[in-house]
Amino acid sequence: MRALRYADILSRNRELAAGAVGKTYRIALLSNIVVNQLADVLEYALRSRGLHAEVTCGDYDNFVQDSIRFKAFDAAIIFWEPANIIDGLHVQAESMKPADLAALAGRVEQEMALTLENLREVPLLLFNGFSALLFERDNLRTGLLQQLCDRLNAVLRSALAGHHVVVDINKVLAGVGLSAAADFRQFQSSKALYSIDFLKDYAEHVAPAMFAATGRMRKVLVLDCDNTLWGGVLGEDGEAQIQMGTASRAGRIFREVQHILKGFQSQGVMLALCSKNNTADVNQVLSSHPDMVLRDVDLVAKKVNWLDKATNLRALAAELNVGLDSLVFVDDSAFELGLVSEALPQVTCIQVPTALSEYPGVVRALAREFFALSRTDEDLHKTEMYRDEQARSQAKERIGSLEDYLRSLELVVRISWNAAVPLDRAAQLTQKTNQFNLTTRRYTEGDMKRMLEDPHFVVASIDVADRYGGYGVTGLAILSIETGGEAARVDTLLMSCRIIGRHIEQVFFDGLVQKLRSLGVGRLHAEYLRTAKNAQVSDFYGTLGLSPRSVELERHTYELTLSDHRGSFINYIEVTEHVG
Amino acid sequence: MLADSIRNVMARVFGVELVCIGDNASPGNIEQWDSLRHMNLVLALEDEFNVRFPDDQVEQLISFPLIELSLRELLPVADGAGT
Repeated sequence: MRALRYADILSRNRELAAGAVGKTYRIALLSNIVVNQLADVLEYALRSRGLHAEVTCGDYDNFVQDSIRFKAFDAAIIFWEPANIIDGLHVQAESMKPADLAALAGRVEQEMALTLENLREVPLLLFNGFSALLFERDNLRTGLLQQLCDRLNAVLRSALAGHHVVVDINKVLAGVGLSAAADFRQFQSSKALYSIDFLKDYAEHVAPAMFAATGRMRKVLVLDCDNTLWGGVLGEDGEAQIQMGTASRAGRIFREVQHILKGFQSQGVMLALCSKNNTADVNQVLSSHPDMVLRDVDLVAKKVNWLDKATNLRALAAELNVGLDSLVFVDDSAFELGLVSEALPQVTCIQVPTALSEYPGVVRALAREFFALSRTDEDLHKTEMYRDEQARSQAKERIGSLEDYLRSLELVVRISWNAAVPLDRAAQLTQKTNQFNLTTRRYTEGDMKRMLEDPHFVVASIDVADRYGGYGVTGLAILSIETGGEAARVDTLLMSCRIIGRHIEQVFFDGLVQKLRSLGVGRLHAEYLRTAKNAQVSDFYGTLGLSPRSVELERHTYELTLSDHRGSFINYIEVTEHVG
Repeated sequence: MLADSIRNVMARVFGVELVCIGDNASPGNIEQWDSLRHMNLVLALEDEFNVRFPDDQVEQLISFPLIELSLRELLPVADGAGT
């Protein structure tokens, strides 16, 4: 909210108030300091996430009377500023006699007790902890004002009931910075002390309590696997190479993240996976990889398959019987997150930061999304319960409007032919690509060069871009034309996993067919050669409409009469060509 | 233009249409401009333009021309040059 200007907060809050329907969540704000601006800021923070809140400010420094007036409210916030317990206490405390200070503390304790008693039926009570930090930052010792605060905090904590939250205001002060948090210009004239930046941060800090009190907290943290739970791509790099151990810097960071996630899980947050991978590969890592912190038993559900993630998240929510707005989804790919937030705007999407060292902090900050007012035994066993439930029912996977999303991406595929194909990258793709690879033939640069120079070969590479940027050269096809030129064979067809799921393979194949036809070729032979990694393309040619000729476990062969090829009719991917 | 930006902030703070903020807008002709909203206005202007009004000016910014004048003094020349 810091990025939003105060004037915008005021006007947007006014709009949200005008459009609000349903019951109002009434919050009372009791204070001995002027914090009226918090009313709009907090209302906006809550209303913008669907909680129609209305903040009513109490009278200045009138806690006991106010607490009677507000006893039927839904929530109360208490700003009891120590500097203002008596006028100018922050400058007087150091010269006061201990007995006078003690008497003062006694008076406040009495008022606090009365206030809490009057507010006992308010379902949610947020009481700011007492702090002298603003006035004692330069004091090496604990000053008398802070000692008074410590005493009052001890009383406050002992009076704590289940529906009370003591707000550690020092956390907010630290986040804003002491110099930026206070604005002393109005302190003498109108008893205002805190800056707008402080109030924005304060509102964000306490909002989770209101969301929790009204059942709006998130419940499930859904995680991608590759470059999210571990470093590297399982399907490409293999189990031995992925990083979440102590041997590398990246590995240690992913390990730290897994520990934080494990901590969340222990506190009742449900964890789930949503990853484009082979199920068996991920299960293998979960069950036996020595570096994994998270194990299968820590997860409530797994969607490890090749479906798009919006479909998977919808299925997850249905399976776990939670709303889509209960999900937080973490992934490293802007593409995947874009797809999800387009299709399912209710899901909170978090991207793994490019600066990996910031990743644990980003995950830790999610604690706010999952804040719960209390932890029951049931909460702590939530994972087990949901796993049982899941075993009872199986959810159907639903297809959403993937096409609409792909259209919005403005995908451009550029096909480069023969001499225009970058040799080194083409060779590298044959060596590195495991998953979307029909034949998995590995070639060196020398091999590639020979084929490019041989008129019996047609070599094509693609580079892909969308409105977010380019993906580079990410696909390759090698076609060999039989002597006589009537038939051709697909020697190699592969795509990097970075561009899978966008129907690019279909337009690429259309382009290949068109090229062969222009060369007078009438028939195409193709094959799928099974490996441990390429199950996802086992029926790729079948789905494109090629006729199967033989289907054995290790090898499927197909044939296509090129004049029969109907094409994919995909009109949302622009195809251009590049001839060297 | 600075004047337009100021008008914009004022309209949002007071919750009125832009046209209501005349060249001589003041608490006398804008009903919503009470003492509490005056504080909101000062804070909103500071937040918007990333400036800080001197202590003694805060209570004197009680008309559109005074606000514009004061902001022109605070803003770097390049930002405040537009008329």
